[in-house]
Amino acid sequence: MFVILLISLIGACVMPLAARVIGRGAGLVIALLPIGLLAAFVSMAPVVERGWVLGEGRNWAPRIGLDLTLRLDGFSFLFCLLVTGICALVVIYAGGYLTGKPRQERTRFFTLILLFQTAMLGTVLAESLLVMLLFWEATSILSFLLVGFDSRSARARRAALMALQVTAFGGLMLLAAVLMIGHVLGSYSMAEAVRQAETIAASPLGTPIVACILIAAFTKSAQFPFHFWLPNAMQAPTPASAYLHSATMVKLGIYLLARFEPVFAATGWGRGVVVTVACLTMLVAALQALRAENFKSALAYSTIASLGILTLLVGLDGPAATVAMVGFLLAHALYKAALFFCAGVVLHATGQQNLRALGGLARVLPFTALACVGASLSMAGIPPFIGFISKEFLFEAQIESSWETAPLAIAVIVNAAMVGVAGVVTLRPFFLGGAKHRELRNGESLSLVAPPLLLAVAGLLISLDPDWITRVALRPAVAAVYGRAVDVDIAVWHGLTPMLMLSAVVIGIGALIVRYWRQIHIRLRGAERFDRLALEKLWERSLRGLMHGSRALTGWVQHGDLRRYLLVVVGGMAALIAWSVIAAGAVPRLPDAGTLRLAPALVALVGLGGAVAATRAQSLFTAMIATGLTGFSIALTFMLNGAPDLALTQFAVEALLVVLLTALLMAVPLASPATRTPAMRRSDAVVAGVMALMLVAGIVDMAAGPQGSAASAFYSEMSYLGGKGHNVVNVILVDFRAFDTLGETMVIAMAAVLARSLLMRRGRAAQEAAQPSVHFSFQAFGRVLSWTLLAASLVILWRGHDQPGGGFVGGLVAALSFALLSLAYGVERAERTLRAGPLTLVGIGMACTLASGLPGLIAGRPYLTHLWWEPVWFPKLGTTMIFDLGVYLVVLGAVLAFLFGLQREATK
Amino acid sequence: MTCMGDALLLTLPVLVPFLGAALALLLRKHPAAALMTGLAASGFVLLASVALLTRVMVDPRVPLTVFGGWPQGFGIGFSAALPGSALVVVTALILFAAAIYAIGDIGPRRRRGGYDALMLAMAGAMNGACLTNDLFNLYVWFELALLAALGLLTIDRRPAQIDGAIRYAAFAMLAATFILIGVGMIYGMTGTLDIRTAGAVLADSPASVASAVAAALLLGGLMLKSGLAPFHLWLPASYHTAPTTVAAVFAGLLTKMGFYALLLVMVVIFGVGRGAPGGAQLTPLLGGIAALTMLLCVAGALGQTDMRRILAYHVVAQVGYMMAALALGTRDGVTAAIFYMVHSMIVQANLFFGAGLIRRASASWDLTRAGGIVRREPLFALLFAVPVLSLSGIPPFSGFWAKLFVIRESLDADMAWLGGVALLAGLLTIVSMSTFWSDACWKDARRTSMRAVPKSGLVAMALLSAATVVIGLMPQWLWSIAQLSARLLEGQG
Amino acid sequence: MTILYALTGAGIIGCAIFMILSRNLVRMLLGLSLLATGTNLLLFLAGRIGSEQPPIIRDGAKALGVSADPVAQALILTAIVIGFALTVMLGVLVLRAWRSGGTVDAREVDAAEMVGPAQERDDLHG
Repeated sequence: MFVILLISLIGACVMPLAARVIGRGAGLVIALLPIGLLAAFVSMAPVVERGWVLGEGRNWAPRIGLDLTLRLDGFSFLFCLLVTGICALVVIYAGGYLTGKPRQERTRFFTLILLFQTAMLGTVLAESLLVMLLFWEATSILSFLLVGFDSRSARARRAALMALQVTAFGGLMLLAAVLMIGHVLGSYSMAEAVRQAETIAASPLGTPIVACILIAAFTKSAQFPFHFWLPNAMQAPTPASAYLHSATMVKLGIYLLARFEPVFAATGWGRGVVVTVACLTMLVAALQALRAENFKSALAYSTIASLGILTLLVGLDGPAATVAMVGFLLAHALYKAALFFCAGVVLHATGQQNLRALGGLARVLPFTALACVGASLSMAGIPPFIGFISKEFLFEAQIESSWETAPLAIAVIVNAAMVGVAGVVTLRPFFLGGAKHRELRNGESLSLVAPPLLLAVAGLLISLDPDWITRVALRPAVAAVYGRAVDVDIAVWHGLTPMLMLSAVVIGIGALIVRYWRQIHIRLRGAERFDRLALEKLWERSLRGLMHGSRALTGWVQHGDLRRYLLVVVGGMAALIAWSVIAAGAVPRLPDAGTLRLAPALVALVGLGGAVAATRAQSLFTAMIATGLTGFSIALTFMLNGAPDLALTQFAVEALLVVLLTALLMAVPLASPATRTPAMRRSDAVVAGVMALMLVAGIVDMAAGPQGSAASAFYSEMSYLGGKGHNVVNVILVDFRAFDTLGETMVIAMAAVLARSLLMRRGRAAQEAAQPSVHFSFQAFGRVLSWTLLAASLVILWRGHDQPGGGFVGGLVAALSFALLSLAYGVERAERTLRAGPLTLVGIGMACTLASGLPGLIAGRPYLTHLWWEPVWFPKLGTTMIFDLGVYLVVLGAVLAFLFGLQREATK
Repeated sequence: MTCMGDALLLTLPVLVPFLGAALALLLRKHPAAALMTGLAASGFVLLASVALLTRVMVDPRVPLTVFGGWPQGFGIGFSAALPGSALVVVTALILFAAAIYAIGDIGPRRRRGGYDALMLAMAGAMNGACLTNDLFNLYVWFELALLAALGLLTIDRRPAQIDGAIRYAAFAMLAATFILIGVGMIYGMTGTLDIRTAGAVLADSPASVASAVAAALLLGGLMLKSGLAPFHLWLPASYHTAPTTVAAVFAGLLTKMGFYALLLVMVVIFGVGRGAPGGAQLTPLLGGIAALTMLLCVAGALGQTDMRRILAYHVVAQVGYMMAALALGTRDGVTAAIFYMVHSMIVQANLFFGAGLIRRASASWDLTRAGGIVRREPLFALLFAVPVLSLSGIPPFSGFWAKLFVIRESLDADMAWLGGVALLAGLLTIVSMSTFWSDACWKDARRTSMRAVPKSGLVAMALLSAATVVIGLMPQWLWSIAQLSARLLEGQG
Repeated sequence: MTILYALTGAGIIGCAIFMILSRNLVRMLLGLSLLATGTNLLLFLAGRIGSEQPPIIRDGAKALGVSADPVAQALILTAIVIGFALTVMLGVLVLRAWRSGGTVDAREVDAAEMVGPAQERDDLHG
């Protein structure tokens, strides 16, 4: 069976290429694939006939609980015969039907149809529920693509979307059901699920499982209230409608229901729901079928009614119901596909499918008319066609079942309506109304009429000689569904039985309907209540409502006001911390009070004061100065607490920030009018205050906890012995945790690239910036000072390993020297002094930093293992110096990129 | 393989992009040379990362290198523990595809603006974040990724880009502050920055206010980075302004990097799923966050017609699924989250590639104007169908398994409601993506003259689509890797 | 001392957040710079306040005696520089926004959120 599926799949990808080469006969060539598959299945008939089940399994993903298991029993076998057999006819038919289309489109159509065949075979052959789900979803997607095949038409697109959305909803329900079954049983085997039906129904998930399965089946088989997608799906090319939307795909829901009958039967309410839904579906569909104006939509509604009958039969108990279901499944597939083919020929020939506009086609389309008569007789249940036999079984099943008479009455009425529809779709276009069509767009051709004729003849032959099909397909199928062998006796004449009486009643009412179709039809069309109550509209409206709701919700959430965004973030963060602290239920601890040192305390308070002043400042310039004040006092705080490196860096950073932000402030207006109402300011202050309090609680509690870091102790020990440096902070930066520094260097480098890209002059249009007019003494002094600073920066770089300093601070100080230069002489002059472009410095610096780790790697040690050379006559030299030099260059280049860009941009 | 080989393999995914970035920076005046540098470095990293993953899968001992040659725990270490090394492969794959895609998308002007250097720096940052063992180092890589991302975002200097970048930067700087304080507090409590050691120390100490605050800070900061509701607002406001290649890389990598860190911090340090003190109290919140993210962001996607914004919302919604898996608090939940992450990275990048090509062909980002692709570019439509179907969770593509695992594990963890929300979001995703397909591929475009899509774009998409199909057909591979990853994360390697 | 510094640091952060929530982009920028400063002070407390001795090994000694925690200092040093780069970078962005739109009011810098046809925009904001 794997081989069959594989051939089917590969064939679906390869065979349609024939349509690119061959013109008219392509259908016949491509049909060889489904015919071959059909032959393969028929050859397996002897196995199935004996009631054996053919199983095959492959390991696919056992850890996921997914085994690729297939199983061929009687029920699957019946489906396989239908799927491959009708596929062959559909392909032949499509060869004739699509003659007007470009070759590329025809190829696409054949590919989709054959892929669909594969998906169908996979669904009915799957034993593992997961595998079934895989193929089930594939049928939905292929149906979507086929319904929307004529993708330029807006109606086709809408119909395709509707079909997909409904069936995908069902698919998700099936997914949920399968996963829940797997959860309950620990296995995804279908046989296991059927065997343990009681367990499933009794488990807490029983109700959701059954509900999900029912919804999945109802959506796929177009049962009320999900039936509305099917009539719309008639936008698909007719061969696809015949194949997917009447003969095979829509029967998958029935397949699922039949397989899971024991499961939903085990709940108290399962059967009731199924029978009720089926009856509603039948009634609605029968009325709509009589209302339908179009050939194809009349057929579509009658298909829904038939699916309703099938659903009803699955819902009823007793062996007769199963026999009737299997028989009707076969009969319906045969005659309905034939009728669709006929409808397609009419549409193809006249371009018209309104039943009232058609007439007298029998003269021009004689073979089609013949096929249509044959199929309709079967549909109407006239002996000796197969439709008659299946109808007998239907009534027998209903009489035997334990249900009240309501379903039976509905079934009689619906069947009568079906007779009416069968009569109307045959008589009106072909025989009544005189010759309305003289000019035909396309005539009949062999590939167009052979498939419906074949099906019609098959419908007759099977009922006259039912032996073979009963033996190989029907009896095993019934046995597979019912769980044990049931004697199936198919014959046209059973004697005078109640069923025969009912049949006669049905045909009688049906004949009346045909007679008065016009009146009934017009009366029904006039009743607008149908349009108002149409679920289709409801679906559309809810979809539109969903879109509108989504848009409104998104507009409300994504309003575009940055302040409210950030308020959500800070507020959310505060709430998160509050939740975490309260839920953790820990009590805050307090550290030892320690001694309060006056000077450091004052410095810290000055810093806090600066921050408060910054919030209250009216002018941005004042705010910047206040911010700077905070920065400097924090730098002092670092200094006072044994962190000279931090202090140096913070000083340099604050100085540079002042220079750079001044350039920015020179460009923008300094006065900043209030942008928040007092209420907003209050709420902002509250949020900020709460956030600050949370942080205090956390930090104080942390400081009260035990202290001690193994890493810190190790660095203190090894800094000189291993890292050859006295300044532990610097050794950490260039050696122990050099990789952080490397990353940070890259951060600065990228900031430089960004600044350059945003501030770069684009094009040659930029004019020379005027030299700033500053006092000559500043110029003279500035030059000296800048050279001094540059020299100092090199010293800081060099001694960094042992004393406070290093690449960062060095680079910042060097940048300060150029900042002075550009203040004194203008940007152009400073850039000329630098010679290389800032980004080139950055690039070289990056290369240095990165390369300094390579010697270690080459020497067989980890990257960034620093190597040392300690001659007696010279201070020790190490690769750390190259590393630090790289950092120096990157920092220098980056700051200069900012500086030059900002200054030039600001003075424009 | 020798110890030295391990050190080399672990260093290359970071070193090569950085060296490439330095070179591209020096060569930025010559766009063709910069392009070659970017392409060669990306390709080389892909090879190296595959070698690294192979090494990990062959030999169960996890390769480790400590930079500077110091003992473990006293320097910054890289280890190829899963899922990091697997994510490096995916990252490299996406960046290589992006480098190919960029041939047809990124012109000389953008390359002169430093595109290649920025992209390579971002690649190095991603790989560094995936491999590092050190909490502070992780923070540094986040900052590097942020800077590179901002540079890439604003490379055209359009007002919308500047504005998007300001929003992004404001959020990201808040996030960085939260993360930094959180990291500092972890150091203050445990005296170490090594992620696993810190987790072990915290697990042995009683719950405290400090650990609760630190857990919340890190969770919040990383939620900002990964775009989880209600902190997702920056993402749909900025992603869509970037050039296509950049947006694709953002969608594929940035948020996932955030989520990976979230996973790492929550599972390894705060022991979500182990009931360890510190983070256990946050677990109930995660489910709510996940549900909110999924529904809010799918709704966001439904309300748009700009292709980039639709996809940007889907990016966030997908993170919601991952969070849902993590919120289950079981090991299989973590496995599902990792599986989902890998799937989503590839698919999201591919979707943006596709949207870019649609825009190329039909000259509009707007779905009401774009169209006609399936008739003009059937090959492209086929390639594009793969990520579309995968995002919608249709078998046999990767997204189906990803969704299936999340829902299955939610059942096993007795949190079926979260699975139900995931199903609902899945249905809405299908609605959104089917409309997308119908509008972009079926409908006729407003403009009648359509341009051809560049070959390089198709090659890039083919690469990622192939990966999606392979994961879809052989989910077991990725599932085993994810399972192993979850075990390692929980410290039971 | 620790509590005082914690209050100071958190207070600075509180002020910073208040400024960040302003709609003036330059004010927000200054707030973010302040935020970095406050964060650094809090980080310093992770290494605890104790010795005022800098972590520099004296000449002749092989190892460090009692001193302030060097690891926290190394982290802060990195954080300072990164914070500086981010602040300046944001400054460049603000300058760009000013040059292109002539405003530093966040409400008027909203080009990123206005994409798509005008019709939709009305829906979104109306």
